[in-house]
Amino acid sequence: MKDQLEALRLEIERDVKAAKSLAELEQIEIKYLGRKGELTSMLKGLANVPADQRPELGALANKIKQAGLDLIAGKRDSLASSRYDAIAETERVDITEPGVRPPEGHLHIMTQTIREITSIFEKIGFYRIRYPEIDWDWYAFEALNMPPDHPARDDWETFFMDAPSTKKGKMVMTPHTSNGQIHELERHKFPIRMLNIAKCYRRQIDATHTPMFHQFEGLLVDEGVNITHLRGILDYFAREFFGPGRVSRIRPHHFRFTEPSFEVDISCGVCGGTGMVEKKKCKVCKRGWLEIGGAGMVHPNVLKATGVDSKKYTGFAFGWGIERVAMMKEGVKVDDIRVLYQNDVRFLKQF
Amino acid sequence: MNLLVSYDWLKEYVSLKEKPEEFAARISLSGPAVEKIIPQGEELRGIVVGKVVKLSPHPQADKLSLVSVDIGHKQPINLVCGGTNLYVGQVVAVALVGAMVRWHGQGDLIELKPAQIRGVKSEGMICAASEIALGEAFPHEEREILDLGKELGLANNPPLIRGAGGINPGTPLADALGLSGDVVMDVEVTSNRPDCMGMVGMAREAAAILKHPFKWKEPVLSVSKSKGKKAGVKVTIDAKKACSRYIGVRINGIKVGPSPWWMKRRLMSAGVRPINNLVDITNYVMLETGQPMHVFDVAKLKGSEIRVRFARANEKMMALDGKTYQLDDKILVIADAERPVAIAGVMGGEETGATAKTTDIVLESACFDPVVVRKGSRKINLQSDSQLRFEKGLSQLSPPSAMARAIKLVLELAGGKVVGEPADVMPTAYKPVAYSVTTDEVNGLIGVEVKKTEMIDVLRRLGFKVSATGKHIKATVPWWRDHDVEMGRDLVEEIARVIGYAKIPSVVPIAVAPRQTDQVIQWEDRLKDSAKAAGYTEVYSWSFVSEDLLRKASYDPKNLLHVLNPLSSDWSVMRPSLIPGLLQAVADNQEREKCLRLFECSNIYVRNDGQTSGPWKDLPDEVPEMAIMVKDTEDDQPWRTAKGLLEHLFENFGISDVHWKRISRDNIWHPGRSAQAYKDNKLVATVGEIGPQMLETFKIKSRVGVIVINFREFISLAKVSKAYVPPMPYPEAKRDLAVVVDRNVEYGEIALSIRRADPRILDVQWFDTYEGKGVPDGKKSVAMHLTIGSPEKTLESSEVDGVLNNAILACQEKFKAEIRA
Repeated sequence: MKDQLEALRLEIERDVKAAKSLAELEQIEIKYLGRKGELTSMLKGLANVPADQRPELGALANKIKQAGLDLIAGKRDSLASSRYDAIAETERVDITEPGVRPPEGHLHIMTQTIREITSIFEKIGFYRIRYPEIDWDWYAFEALNMPPDHPARDDWETFFMDAPSTKKGKMVMTPHTSNGQIHELERHKFPIRMLNIAKCYRRQIDATHTPMFHQFEGLLVDEGVNITHLRGILDYFAREFFGPGRVSRIRPHHFRFTEPSFEVDISCGVCGGTGMVEKKKCKVCKRGWLEIGGAGMVHPNVLKATGVDSKKYTGFAFGWGIERVAMMKEGVKVDDIRVLYQNDVRFLKQF
Repeated sequence: MNLLVSYDWLKEYVSLKEKPEEFAARISLSGPAVEKIIPQGEELRGIVVGKVVKLSPHPQADKLSLVSVDIGHKQPINLVCGGTNLYVGQVVAVALVGAMVRWHGQGDLIELKPAQIRGVKSEGMICAASEIALGEAFPHEEREILDLGKELGLANNPPLIRGAGGINPGTPLADALGLSGDVVMDVEVTSNRPDCMGMVGMAREAAAILKHPFKWKEPVLSVSKSKGKKAGVKVTIDAKKACSRYIGVRINGIKVGPSPWWMKRRLMSAGVRPINNLVDITNYVMLETGQPMHVFDVAKLKGSEIRVRFARANEKMMALDGKTYQLDDKILVIADAERPVAIAGVMGGEETGATAKTTDIVLESACFDPVVVRKGSRKINLQSDSQLRFEKGLSQLSPPSAMARAIKLVLELAGGKVVGEPADVMPTAYKPVAYSVTTDEVNGLIGVEVKKTEMIDVLRRLGFKVSATGKHIKATVPWWRDHDVEMGRDLVEEIARVIGYAKIPSVVPIAVAPRQTDQVIQWEDRLKDSAKAAGYTEVYSWSFVSEDLLRKASYDPKNLLHVLNPLSSDWSVMRPSLIPGLLQAVADNQEREKCLRLFECSNIYVRNDGQTSGPWKDLPDEVPEMAIMVKDTEDDQPWRTAKGLLEHLFENFGISDVHWKRISRDNIWHPGRSAQAYKDNKLVATVGEIGPQMLETFKIKSRVGVIVINFREFISLAKVSKAYVPPMPYPEAKRDLAVVVDRNVEYGEIALSIRRADPRILDVQWFDTYEGKGVPDGKKSVAMHLTIGSPEKTLESSEVDGVLNNAILACQEKFKAEIRA
């Protein structure tokens, strides 16, 4: 019986060594060491062995069983790890093939730019209000201190609606967002910290103008507002929108509804405001600066027209074309601005 | 508008020490903006003055000469030249190897290389004016070379050029012409400052800003108080409101000819082509003073009188540009006894203009109404440098000094004699205006303290007459700022800009927003984000569309808002819906994209019939709307994709239990595949497919799923915050059920009946509808997942079967349904 046990041990060793899979190993364990396995059935024969030999044989059988189990456990580990090793090969894919993407949506570059500007100004206490795109002459021109013979009121510059006039004048398609100033001022609630971002309309179309475009307008009116605050707002916008290190400057300009009026420039990001790149003139800017829009201190006549005491309240307005700042920022160099509104998916997908 | 300013020329009127770059930087911050700086004479590099010392015929060519030219070297250089006007002693322009020339004045600039001409070596080229960009200054016959001595008057006058002793052989041509070292600045002048559309005004600004001496002494036109009795020309102003002043001066016996180089050079620096001395003088005076001038040939004036009046119906005039213009009673003209001879402030007439034969002239210096000039010019579509100045508004006091200057120049350059006195007609007297401002107002607006003495100093330097008492500063507006300065506030600008905006500190006024951002804007953003996340791309279409497009989309243009003066018929009606624009976008992109998912969220425009629900009671309603379209060539049920997205949006924004209504017959929507979502009797959205007729109209080849969200209703129902419902504590059972019902029975009714059949049916989810083999004609099989459970305990299998049976019974009872195994 001792020999039989020894033979079994050798058989187990041989089979375990030869096993090629975990399933095979399982079968070996059942065959030799399971409840109905060979070792168990051999131990049943122990009853026929003389009593004095039983402890020794019993111990041997246990030893063989333990050795067998250890052997199987060891083999199982090695089989498992080699199986993981093999996965790298058996389940290999071409990782340069594309992934499966979710459907990809895009917001229009105008929406993205409008949101960015809005959030910059909301952070310092401005609110956004919707005012009419189609409005009365009073709001678009008259109350903005633009005299009746002002060129902007000619019908080759501004669109008019086919609608009867009222005591507020003709019905116009607003050529700027400044009508929002009048509506906001007429509420007589101060302080005013308004943003008006809206579609505007002018009778011009070429590579740099579309008859429909978007303007942004900020208005701050309160007691004690002065030019230092406007400069602060513009510098703040320059670095928030265009990035750290960018600054603004104001230069004299002329608008009817502000006095003084300013042209607003932003320092050029390409030449760092020097106007020179590698000893050559910067191709992006005019002598270190990029024109961005207009600004000014609200004209006393505008306050007067809206019934606001211009001795008590002062304020400023500032604004620019959304299309223009989007182009200035994104590095979007389109040859023809009309592409913004042609809805070619090949354009829209890029933003 | 822009003015080209030669820095050298500007220095005639103001002492300037700054380098052009410094000057430009400083001036731009306080006054007109310098946009570009263009160095002068660069194109003449490598071209020098030479003197012909020897001439001999070319051995191989009749029309060529061999020329020895002294260019200041030890030995003359030898050249071959085809000029017909060569002579020994002639002073010429010699282009040396490396210079850029334009052969025979045509084609591109070419770099000059050493050449052999018919076997003879040529070390350079004697240039014709047109070969070195001077053709406009020195017009010449073909094959004539530039005779510098003659053109610059070197024979008579000892040559004078800056810093040098004279023009010698070898002097660079740019030096000889006085161009070296000069720059031309391209300056943007804002529309309120026509006074800066001339060198004098620009110099006045520079003097005030840079605190340098202003050198211009305004010439005085002397007129006695004879009321025109001794005037050399008869002037009558009929249109008294449109012409506030007209000065006419007659000069007889002048001689028309080319202008001297100094004047040509000034004109060319400003981008104006020299013509002859008379025309050049009018342009020169305009560029110098900003006051447009005109000159008439007396011989061509009928009745030798001048009338300022509006044109009569059917009058015509050929202008100096050679075109004939049809005039009318809105167009102001200068007329002689019979007909218009100039469009006032815009352009003179061809017939009465000065020519080479002119001997007697009338000079005009006048002040026309800016609006009349602008409207007239727009009406006949004719622009000019003169009109651009007048339409900005010039002063009634501007004409006399310009006239005095012009007379002086005519007598100097063209000779002649002034006849009688100037005719100076002014229908109304000039009244200077004065405004006041307090030092508190100035400092309050600027935000930093400026000394009163500095305020006064700035205003005086700008030409204001200033008096001050206590905090009050009173300033009389100088005539050249007549239309610009309108109130005390304008004085603040003058002070602030001259001191310099860069000196004003920058302070960010931070606060808490005193008002909330508009709800509609916030919801637009949320819905746009949802659509983008679902894979949709946003488009922006024009707010105005064509009547044609709207007719295609079955709208009656009569009920819509029309643009009175559209740019074209493509953009003539305000859109009443976002659908036409989106359909157009689908049509335009369909060939390239298998799958299109597009949306737009914007305003549509509705005529106000007196019952607008918009915020502006007397204006058209600008209604916010969102429209979404999906097209996929592989999907023949895009309505389902659209409806799924709409359901997603409803769920996302807390709009539950909407009621779906089938859409009645419609031209846009598919009659069998479209539905409207109602909630509390309000139409929230419409969803479905575009009808086949509309697809054909837009030439769209696949089915298009579409959603239109009525924004105002959607917002009124939508919620951002959500209520929490705890999940069932016990396991739920899932069972599938398929019922065969009549084709017209709708899933919604079946689901509702099942839900009502037993409270333990927690959810019903459709997963398939089948018609065809195995299902009788006129019937369909609807398959659903049922979720069954109880909040009290885990249901036994037999209990679940009981619940399912209740569902089956309900279907049998209500729809005579048969159960599919």
